[in-house]
Amino acid sequence: MKHTILMLLLIALSQQAGAQVPDRDTYLKGFEQRVAYVTSIYDTMQTAGYYQIAVRYAHNKDIAGADKMFAELLRDPRGDMFWMIPSMGAYLHGKDKMSAETRALVRNAWKTYAPYRGDTENHWCMYYSALYLAAEQWPNLPGPEWYNGKSSDENLREAREYLIHWIKITTTIGQGEFDSPDYFPEYAMPMVLLSHFAKDPEMKTRGTMMADYIFADFATEHLDGQYIGGYSRIYQPAVYKPLLSGASAFAYLYFGTGTPTNSGWIVIPALCNYRLPHIIYSIALDRSSTIIEKERKRVRNVIRFGTEKNPPVYKYTYITKDYGIGSLQGGILQPIQQHTWGVRYTYGRPYTTIFGLHPYWSGTEVGMFFPEEVKTLIADVVASKGTYNNPDKWTGGSPYERTFQHRNTLLVLYDIVPGTTTEHIDGFFPRNLEERTVDPSGWIICKAGDTYVGWYPLQEYEWKEEIENPANTLNEIGRPQLERVKETGNWRLRSHKRQNGYVIEVRSKDEIGSFEQFKAGLQKHIPKATLLPGKVSLQYKNLGGDMMEFAFPDKRVLNGKAVDLSKTRLFDGPFLSADVGSEKLTMTYKRKTRVLDFKAVKITE
Amino acid sequence: MKSSQVLCIGLITTLLSAGLFGQQSTVYISVLSTKLFVVGAANPETGLYYKKTGDTTWHHAGAKNIRAFGLAVHTPSKGSFVCIASGNGVHRSTDGGATWKITTGWEITEVLSVVVDKSDPKFILCATPYGVYRTLDGGTTWKECNNGIKEKFTSSIVIDHKNNNVLYCATEDGVYRSDNRGDSWQRTGMGVGSVCVVVQNPKEPNILVAGTNDRGIYITRNAGKYWEKTEAGLDHLTFYAIAYDPTNPQVLYAGGYVSGIYKSTDGGVSWTRKNEGLTNLNVHSLAVDPTNGNRVFVGTQWGGIFQSDNAGDTWYNIGLNGSQVWTISVQPF
Repeated sequence: MKHTILMLLLIALSQQAGAQVPDRDTYLKGFEQRVAYVTSIYDTMQTAGYYQIAVRYAHNKDIAGADKMFAELLRDPRGDMFWMIPSMGAYLHGKDKMSAETRALVRNAWKTYAPYRGDTENHWCMYYSALYLAAEQWPNLPGPEWYNGKSSDENLREAREYLIHWIKITTTIGQGEFDSPDYFPEYAMPMVLLSHFAKDPEMKTRGTMMADYIFADFATEHLDGQYIGGYSRIYQPAVYKPLLSGASAFAYLYFGTGTPTNSGWIVIPALCNYRLPHIIYSIALDRSSTIIEKERKRVRNVIRFGTEKNPPVYKYTYITKDYGIGSLQGGILQPIQQHTWGVRYTYGRPYTTIFGLHPYWSGTEVGMFFPEEVKTLIADVVASKGTYNNPDKWTGGSPYERTFQHRNTLLVLYDIVPGTTTEHIDGFFPRNLEERTVDPSGWIICKAGDTYVGWYPLQEYEWKEEIENPANTLNEIGRPQLERVKETGNWRLRSHKRQNGYVIEVRSKDEIGSFEQFKAGLQKHIPKATLLPGKVSLQYKNLGGDMMEFAFPDKRVLNGKAVDLSKTRLFDGPFLSADVGSEKLTMTYKRKTRVLDFKAVKITE
Repeated sequence: MKSSQVLCIGLITTLLSAGLFGQQSTVYISVLSTKLFVVGAANPETGLYYKKTGDTTWHHAGAKNIRAFGLAVHTPSKGSFVCIASGNGVHRSTDGGATWKITTGWEITEVLSVVVDKSDPKFILCATPYGVYRTLDGGTTWKECNNGIKEKFTSSIVIDHKNNNVLYCATEDGVYRSDNRGDSWQRTGMGVGSVCVVVQNPKEPNILVAGTNDRGIYITRNAGKYWEKTEAGLDHLTFYAIAYDPTNPQVLYAGGYVSGIYKSTDGGVSWTRKNEGLTNLNVHSLAVDPTNGNRVFVGTQWGGIFQSDNAGDTWYNIGLNGSQVWTISVQPF
């Protein structure tokens, strides 16, 4: 009995030690310190910008300077929804402090400048959140007083309808631009603004609930400032330098993780009164136990080459205190910037990741999602996404790629048809790994601090060292590259076989012991593959003893039992629970719960 | 005939072709973008442009950055209006472009084309990647009408000029027909997938011509029951634009992906390339001046707009270089 009590005490203490969850007062104090840090440079910055304006108003400092900047910027408003949100944020933080002339200038901008509404969910979310707030600010105006010819009432109604529609589809069949390290801000900013500034109490609650929702989604797949798993959208360089993403800036501000930043994305939210509920940052920070999170998301609106508008995305993520590995099922789920799978860990900033892909592009892929002519769409896309048709790119999904993940083991298969834009697959291995050894067994065995990664290629391959591409390189139409294509010294595994694949095993020191023990384990686990055109399959008994059988594209069998991804719930993990169609999210942490009921527009704790 | 009479006739012909003696028209175009379009960036001005006969420059009207795909101009003696089909919905101006209203709501987005019924201008249809929408009250209310359409992506709609209950639309799943103003649709007899454009013969409503992605040009002479592929003289397969000469329905022009312009003078049976002076062969829009069949306009992808004054024999650029001219409409004034 004594022994049992001692053990329980030790477990409790170890969990406490691993949790690192601050109490509410400590968290709020830390949050205010981070707000001060984030905003500190903006009230003295002399270049005109909406963040500079917002901070000046919020800090009640240099109001005349803020007014002057507003006047300067509103001479030629530009940026569409990327103008609407920050300019509305700046206005709302300063409307009681700015001069009457400045107020009139802002009002006039909403009459004369017609922003583009955009073509995707983050655009519409920002557009309608800002329009909603604007229509509340200037009620009872007739159509000619607005850029779109609609009255204040019409604008308010339309914006409200869209936002409720977006909330409903997100909470019934999943978010469209889901779990995006680079597009997280485009959802967080408008929701935080609605939470703070919406006059209508119900919309204010909706804003708070959706802010909670997307922060909770991030929190459960968060590790050390990073979003873990497969994503809808990520750019280079954040794909290989994870902390450069916008989501990581939010992780710094709201979770207190990652690295301190003055990123503009978090300035307006930092000035708002939305505070993360205790349960969400607890979920984000407590890595005392392993997390297995299964989620269902939604493909961006499919407009061609398919009859289902929003097919399901199935996401599987495994996270420990040292690392996370996550995946989407594969195929084209988002255009251009999909990240189908990746390992991320706490060791070795900034290159804290290993991942692989088939670098694919096609008119069909972009034609699925964009309305312009299929034959010229690639040129349209490359104008702004310079790496899209680069065979060395590090982002994007492929119709010839599929995954099967069970816990911390991932199988990836490829069956690439001849003549596809690229007929090779690539793997990213960062330069700062402690070890990257090719074992005689065939395993590539890597050590990143206390995280060990094994990669078993099913086909022959070569190594290429990444060569730096100067930042001022111009793309084919003479514009500066928006993304650096390559980074010096990292390693690219490239295999030119069309029928291909690999097995990924990840373990931490806590899970398996020494690196040598990990190596020894891998040497005893060799996958069996069939790699013929139209017949690509893999059998593998993982380090945990589970038998995984995988046949391209979608036959997955675990320990003799077929895996049915279609039964995946919206959220299914230790902290988050939501059924498809439910419009409800239940957060659980230890004995606390927080329920977001979007049907009733109610938060229950 | 005396030589003086010949000279006189020749002079009159010349003046007519030059746009004099009442042959005044306005060319309206929708510029989708330039190569530099990026959502949220400081994009160059795009949208609706127009130019009257004799104008030396293009005039802009309406919003400057809305992804303007299509346009429709309704020009009766009274109650004229202009519609723009854009990323933001269907915009409408009833005062010559001075003020605009987006008539559609959030549900209708990325509108690719808009058509107005000449006999009932409150009946307006728009084509979108999400299917067909219509209004029967001039834009106050819009309703989705895709009943029967399998793949909804729709880029082009025709309202039958003899019977406005009959509609045709070009979809990713062929050409569909409705006999009840869009309440329901039936797939016509074309066994082809992606159709980019469908146009109707200005005199014979049962004759329609469709341009496809990768499968060339098809003609029906029985209102869609049967379609036949027209191939004589065509070396290209993707056609985004087809235009009849309203003054002579035997004459058609067609253009598409890197095709330049093809002309038919036998109602679409055979075609001849007509590219002299056309320095950009990526054609996306076409229109023939209803007041002068010799005057033809071609909108290109990233090459601006071109004009011919001799029925396509030669072309010259008339501006907006670098832009994608998605739609052209020429109206008498």
